[in-house]
Amino acid sequence: MLFAIVPLIVDGLANAALIFFVAVGLTLVFSVLRILNVAHGSFYSIGAYVAASIGLWIISSGLNPWLSFPALLIAAALVAALMGPLIERTLVHWTYGKGEAVQILVTFGLFLILEDLQRIVFGVRSIYADTPMALLGVSEIGGIIYLNYQLLLIGLAVLTLIGLRLFIRHTRQGKLISAVVEDREVSEAMGINTRRIFMMAFTLGVFLAALGGALATPTSGVAPGLGAETMVLAFAVAAIAGLGQVEGAAVAAVIVGVARVLAIYYVPALDAVAPYLVMLVVLLIWPYGLFGTTQSRRI
Amino acid sequence: MQHSFDRRAFARTGLAAVAALAIAGGAKAQDAPSEFNIGIFTFSSGPAAAYGMPGRQGAELMIDMINEAGGVGGVPVRATFVDEAQGAEGVISEYRRLANDPDTQVMLAALSSSNCLALAPVAEQIGMPTISWNCDTHQLFLEDDLQFTFRPNGNTVPEFAAFAAYMVTVNPDVRRIAIINPDYAFGHDAGEIVKATLAAIAPEVEVVAELYPRLGTSSFQTEISRLSAARPDAIFSNLWGADLENFVRQAQPRGLFNQSQVVLALGETVLESLNLPDGVIAGMLGDGWWNTPTARANPMTVEFTDAYLERYGEHPVFPTMKMANALLFMQEAVEDAIAATDGAWPTRAQIAAAMEGRTFNSLTGTAVLREDNDAVVDQVIGLTTNESDLGFTTLTSMVRYPGEMLMPPIGGDPIEWLSTLTPDWLDSLPAPGSYN
Repeated sequence: MLFAIVPLIVDGLANAALIFFVAVGLTLVFSVLRILNVAHGSFYSIGAYVAASIGLWIISSGLNPWLSFPALLIAAALVAALMGPLIERTLVHWTYGKGEAVQILVTFGLFLILEDLQRIVFGVRSIYADTPMALLGVSEIGGIIYLNYQLLLIGLAVLTLIGLRLFIRHTRQGKLISAVVEDREVSEAMGINTRRIFMMAFTLGVFLAALGGALATPTSGVAPGLGAETMVLAFAVAAIAGLGQVEGAAVAAVIVGVARVLAIYYVPALDAVAPYLVMLVVLLIWPYGLFGTTQSRRI
Repeated sequence: MQHSFDRRAFARTGLAAVAALAIAGGAKAQDAPSEFNIGIFTFSSGPAAAYGMPGRQGAELMIDMINEAGGVGGVPVRATFVDEAQGAEGVISEYRRLANDPDTQVMLAALSSSNCLALAPVAEQIGMPTISWNCDTHQLFLEDDLQFTFRPNGNTVPEFAAFAAYMVTVNPDVRRIAIINPDYAFGHDAGEIVKATLAAIAPEVEVVAELYPRLGTSSFQTEISRLSAARPDAIFSNLWGADLENFVRQAQPRGLFNQSQVVLALGETVLESLNLPDGVIAGMLGDGWWNTPTARANPMTVEFTDAYLERYGEHPVFPTMKMANALLFMQEAVEDAIAATDGAWPTRAQIAAAMEGRTFNSLTGTAVLREDNDAVVDQVIGLTTNESDLGFTTLTSMVRYPGEMLMPPIGGDPIEWLSTLTPDWLDSLPAPGSYN
């Protein structure tokens, strides 16, 4: 019995790990900026493209292939540093205080622009940069061969969750973010520079999405359309958790990951819809998500 | 059958009437245009571009070669390319837009089976000669008596029945198979055909897993675990484009190719770009490989292949050859239509009439168009080997199954026809290795 369950758990967690990075970024941005950023998936795919490009450059230049690992992190940091502040200060900043429809339209427009930019810059053919996967080798678990890189991803997702929790609860910047999330007006009245907090939170969200994309490149091809695919899954995770719930996103990612794996193993026809069926059931029972809370509307 | 004959006779009369009306109504046999406009539909973006772009490149090169040799009937060809990645609605809209130009006289559409099925009624309605240059769903000609849609290529039934036959011939100990195909008509049709063929010719084979991941899936890791857990003796797949590349790149390090006999129906497309291990059953849809004995014996194929390699830095793959074949088929038909009109430029209906019932010598073999406008084409399959002078994986132990041995008769249910096959049928087929 255990022999049969172990692959389900490993596959479920490996699935969840990849979704987690992008979903937690989405939910973090929502909790601070109160914006559902439809363009969030594009940062995932741009992170993937940049990481793959740097990885391929490292190999073609004859550099040490182990440099491919720090390159994944550098790619995500680059994308966040270049795009986070720029987009938040221009397009996103303009939507603060506007209705949800405006925010969604603006970020959707941004998504379309970024998708086309990727086609222009990186072309339309798939890119593969799998050196980190090849370097780490494989392990046999429950009679099935897994990539050690998949196991590494699970560990990295857990470390990221712990790191985010420590950052928000135990650093000054994290506490400032918490204060803004709790009450923006009071925070401003207390002298907190909310503009700066917004930019920081948005950039952190971009970094997490780009990191998810960068970490996905060694095990999957990078092609146009990746951003949309990821965004929809990330939204399902964020909705199940309750928008704005960082720890909840981790739990929801595991639920979605396991649901998808169970579908592939036992009801393959439901593979594509499994995450959304789970989302539907959760929202029917808990309209604000598993960890979401109702909020009073201030007039 | 009588009913079917009557329908056909009626439709043919209708076609003749359309042609007559077109001639009488002003679209009469006319002066040659300054350019012969055609629409070419393929995927030039997204995951399917890995398959669609070689087709587009093949079209660009073949059109250049045709034009350098004087064009079609002395008129240079000008192609407008349409990206199928925009979806069926956009594809239909682009098709109609191009068809509005009276100088556009032929469409090469499409790559995707779904798009071919969506465009066929439009082609009939407009009266536009349409060459299905790649799509191979057998459903295209199953129900409707199409007059303007032609497929000088193979279709799913002979193609995938051939792979099932080859698999049980080279690996008679197979008892458990798994299937992983894309989640749309092409993938599901192939699954049904493989299962029906195996049930008839190797009834002891059991299907232990059937997966249909979404077209454009970037990660197959869970599917690979599932396949691995099912412990199949063989895995059949008709994944293609970036999906195929992703699957191979992800499955190989996880030992799937060592654990099971893998069958990649569109494996020829990745021979040069991926390092497939030895012994994978790989092939193409139909006979369209530049490196078959038949193709190598054709000077025009050699010229095309060399020019392609020089221009694009890679060898053509079978979608390239299918596209080139489709353009040559079009050229032959148009020039015959010109001859039939005593040198006047033909109408769309006259071009369609010239396409009917052709026996076409392609770059890679022969395509014989039946009454239903679907072609009988041979099927080439082999085993991968890395012992090759080419510097990349190639095929050995090849077989060229004659198309007529694999093609179900017109009008019947092809799946039912497959169920009439018997294990003895395998003995009547050429042996693997007979076509090297």
